[in-house]
Amino acid sequence: MNARSLRFQLVAWYAGLLTGCFVLIGATTYGVLQNSLVGALRETQARRGRQVGQLVLDEIRSQAEARVGAEVEARYAPDLNGRFVRITRGDGSVLYLSHAPKDQTFVPEEVPVASWTSRGGNARQVVLPGGRKMLLTACEVQSPSGNRYLIETGAPLDDVQAHLGQWLRFLFVVLPIVAVLAVGGGSFLVKRALLPVDTIVASAERISSQNLSESLPVARTGDELERLSIALNHMVQRLDDAFQYSRQFMADASHELRTPLTVLRGEIESIIHEPALAPVWRERLGSALEEVERLARIVEGLFAISRLDAGEAAAAWVKLDLARLAAATADQMSLLAEDKDIRVTCAAVEPVWVEGDQARLKQVIVNLLDNAIKYTLQGGVIGLTVNAINSHAVLEVADNGIGIPADALPRVFDRFFRVDKARSRDLGGAGLGLSIVKSICTAHHGRVEASSTPGQGSRFRVELPLTPAPSDQPKQTNHEH
Amino acid sequence: MRLLLIEDEKKVAGFVARGLRAERFAVDMAADGPSALQALAACAYDLIILDLMLPGLSGSEILKRIRLDRNEAPVLILTARDAMAEKVAHFEAGADDYLTKPFAFAELLVRVKALLRRGPVNRSNVLRVGDLELDRLTQQVKRAGKRIELTAKEYALLEYLIANAGRVFSRTMIIEHVWDQSFEGLTNIVDVYVRHLRAKVDDPFPEKLIHTVRGVGYSIGNGSDS
Repeated sequence: MNARSLRFQLVAWYAGLLTGCFVLIGATTYGVLQNSLVGALRETQARRGRQVGQLVLDEIRSQAEARVGAEVEARYAPDLNGRFVRITRGDGSVLYLSHAPKDQTFVPEEVPVASWTSRGGNARQVVLPGGRKMLLTACEVQSPSGNRYLIETGAPLDDVQAHLGQWLRFLFVVLPIVAVLAVGGGSFLVKRALLPVDTIVASAERISSQNLSESLPVARTGDELERLSIALNHMVQRLDDAFQYSRQFMADASHELRTPLTVLRGEIESIIHEPALAPVWRERLGSALEEVERLARIVEGLFAISRLDAGEAAAAWVKLDLARLAAATADQMSLLAEDKDIRVTCAAVEPVWVEGDQARLKQVIVNLLDNAIKYTLQGGVIGLTVNAINSHAVLEVADNGIGIPADALPRVFDRFFRVDKARSRDLGGAGLGLSIVKSICTAHHGRVEASSTPGQGSRFRVELPLTPAPSDQPKQTNHEH
Repeated sequence: MRLLLIEDEKKVAGFVARGLRAERFAVDMAADGPSALQALAACAYDLIILDLMLPGLSGSEILKRIRLDRNEAPVLILTARDAMAEKVAHFEAGADDYLTKPFAFAELLVRVKALLRRGPVNRSNVLRVGDLELDRLTQQVKRAGKRIELTAKEYALLEYLIANAGRVFSRTMIIEHVWDQSFEGLTNIVDVYVRHLRAKVDDPFPEKLIHTVRGVGYSIGNGSDS
């Protein structure tokens, strides 16, 4: 899982926080519980000690020290209650020692004797040889005759430890459950909350200059996500406006340029046909006219691109066999290649059906072949292939020409982009051929990409959606004369 | 032959009218919709050249009126737009031909003459220029009695030039007639084919028939023609 993702951070923070709080509360409760249980036991033992002390004093007053043991057993039955009582005289001799408890949890003789300095109410925990813990309190009484007695009472800490252990086990069982619930629930909630983001992302990915009029789904969550999707829609809308504006501008500009071009061309032509014109002027005007022609071609190309980008290509769509179209076009252009002693091999045998504007698709092939011929040296080879790969018709034009430098590769489809400006101009290019190819491919829901090894050649790959072959195999409109 | 030229751009109208008059047509001009309608009402024209972008009344509107008035004169449309859909719509509305700006005057002239069914639209089977001979039925080409083998495209190119012998064709016109619109912008293909054609038709002979007119294009003729 991505540690920087919102989902991970939120879930980790809240799960960590919850687990931490739980551990803290558990530990605190454990401590408090331990304190109160031990404290209560200590209180009981101290009270018992004082009571036994009182008993000792009473018995001594009635000169019956020997009855102390019996009296303690009768009143408190330490062996039955699992308690420990020991009364020691001032000289160190034991006056009374309780019997081993019924459950044999400890051996009274093994309990270490407290020192005389332990004053009334003092409690201590001792570890018995068996490893058990015992809470011992000691108090000192003094008879009127001046005899001192040390009364020790004790209780094993087993019960307390059992309670605490239980609590600890509870904590250990519940903690993972809490953690799992926190991670799982949090993860689920965050995922659900971010679900509209995925939808928005998916739709945003689909948006290109071709379908800017589409809007993104608005997440009706009433929160930042809804605002985000609305803001994105506004942005798309503004982008669409900007695109429309630039398309309209291009269409208007090429439209406006046509009239002056017509005049320029018409006037120069009429002068050229003037019989009295000196040949040197005819030559110069001819050169001017060639430039007018080129300007007209650029305007034409721009206009074609703007129309294609505005989605006007869908008007004349038919089902056609791209392989056949490619073969026929390659044949028509073979002389152009032969002129440079370039061999064009065409591997397009199996019919590959696509849907589109035949003239436009032919233009794609013409422009790609023309481009390949231009940039392939004398005696080179150009391969044209058409295949159906998965659900795509793939047309490839590969040459072994001069290739395209890596830094220029991403820009070859840009308008007016030329790798080597001087050279391309000599070849009569306007820098629009490949842009037109790209616009046509995009208008046909396809794409075109270029790859190249400089010095070894370039490869242009056109992908168009396949369409099922027509069952009746209608005859193709044939443009060749 | 009397022609009406409906065009609001004075300069375009100017050189078109001049060129047409040089070809001995009588040309009337109208610069906007209302004056075009007036002229149409006053005179029966043999052909109407109509610009689509007009002030006052649009060209398509005028075209509709012309056909509503049962005026059967051929209409050649000039436009600065060439969207396919538009083209189709205008043919349906009764236009006879369609020319996109910027056009070559030679092309306009060829179309005007074709629409008027006169001029060099040669329908005979055997076409001749000098000692060059092209037989449309057998698709055979001979020069000075010797058979010349041509490829299909070379034949189509030669036939197009020879059928309009003496006229200069722009590369764009040749592409549109011999190839198709997909080859637009690929003018060097014409040069290559003309070179190959020359190698077969002209090179072995002292007299050259195919001429290059710089900036304009190509023509075929006996030299004195162009």
